[in-house]
Amino acid sequence: MSDRLLVSSRKGLFVLERAKPAEGEWRITDTAFLGDNVALALADPRDGNWYAALDLGHFGAKLHRSADQGRHWQEVGVPAYAEGDQVIPGDGKPAQAAALRLIWSLEAGGADEPGRLWAGTIPGGLFRSDDHGSSWQLVRGLWDRPERHQWFGGGYDHPGIHSVCVDPRDPRCLRVAISSGGVWRSDDAGENWTQTAQGMIARYMPEGQQGDPNIQDVHRLVQARSAPEVFWAQHHNGVFRSTAGGGDWHEITDVPPSVFGFAVAVHPRDADTAWFVPAVKDEKRYPVDAQLVVARTRDGGRSFETLHRGLPEAQAYDLVYRHGLAVDDSGDRLAFGSTTGGLWTSDDQGDRWQPLAARLPPIHALTFA
Amino acid sequence: MARVVLAPALTRWLPPTEGHPGGELCMQLAGGSVGELLQAVFARHPVLRGYVLDEHGAVRHHVAVFVDGQCLRDKRDLAQTVGEDAELYVMQALSGG
Repeated sequence: MSDRLLVSSRKGLFVLERAKPAEGEWRITDTAFLGDNVALALADPRDGNWYAALDLGHFGAKLHRSADQGRHWQEVGVPAYAEGDQVIPGDGKPAQAAALRLIWSLEAGGADEPGRLWAGTIPGGLFRSDDHGSSWQLVRGLWDRPERHQWFGGGYDHPGIHSVCVDPRDPRCLRVAISSGGVWRSDDAGENWTQTAQGMIARYMPEGQQGDPNIQDVHRLVQARSAPEVFWAQHHNGVFRSTAGGGDWHEITDVPPSVFGFAVAVHPRDADTAWFVPAVKDEKRYPVDAQLVVARTRDGGRSFETLHRGLPEAQAYDLVYRHGLAVDDSGDRLAFGSTTGGLWTSDDQGDRWQPLAARLPPIHALTFA
Repeated sequence: MARVVLAPALTRWLPPTEGHPGGELCMQLAGGSVGELLQAVFARHPVLRGYVLDEHGAVRHHVAVFVDGQCLRDKRDLAQTVGEDAELYVMQALSGG
């Protein structure tokens, strides 16, 4: 199991480690960018580099890289849009010159692609780096799709790519999920793309548009490493599962206590086991009955358990964002962090949870390192 | 030579290799316009370009530039001329934090 966790928060990056493994106690052992808004972090399993994406209110989105596990950080390049690139949202907002607002997802390329990274951004561009983040290229194959002009923002003013799945069998095979623009698939490292959100339903949309794959507000998309044809999606409207490589989606309606949420994680060795952190839909967004729980399925979504041992039983108003739930490589250890700075870990797939003693700033993202 | 002052909120992002101890950074630079003075800043401190300007070359929405105490009104127009002994002050706007 992984004994280190990177926590990206509104006020910095926190490194948590299990100081006393026998007691299961996690402690803050290091910080970086204290006081600054860290949107997300990546620990690249190929070369050990860490990356931190910053969202500086005044000075824009930045990316830093560390080759020594956080002791030193170096600022590297960020994705940039070119003159003439425009965002034309599908919900009637005026067209604007495209400019980087946020690095909203960051993923490592394949094992045989050293230095390759993928970054999803607001306002909707996917970028590729082949030099450890020093420079970035906009993936024109997706950006130039005419369907992009139907996408719109979910929460943010402009659409954004929050999930990038690099297929473990072939890193040229990519899936990205967009809020709000459905799920897209490329089989050639981003040259050509196909919309694959068919089967998803957006019941909050006008009749006649609810099944349009290109407007689906996917909150988070994850791929099962052990069975890469299986995908799980937490969607604005509910929970969906695909056993067809990220297409032909099936809705799962019986998720207690609510099908609404942002985060989803899938067990790395068991595609039928997945976790969600439900909340009251959809403009309310706090735990149902103010009781914080995790919903777990072990049978591909046919049934769910509500996990609550060790979690606040009442008066909890923690919301978990889309990148705020993580599972480690073993599949036994989980962690999630909330918008009110609560953080809980589990060593038994969620049966029991332990709170972090420290109160953290609002948490955007967690990743095991 | 114009006097260019960068606020501490900007200079704290300078790489340690540039040797700035922190705090406000004052420089005497040559340039006949706001844009020329900013380019002179970026020639010395390349990392600051992305903090002051967006990718299209406009002053960032939440960055304020003052020329002799007057705020630059059009963030896309860097051709505004400046006097020989002008003061250019670059700071974070109070919005955007």
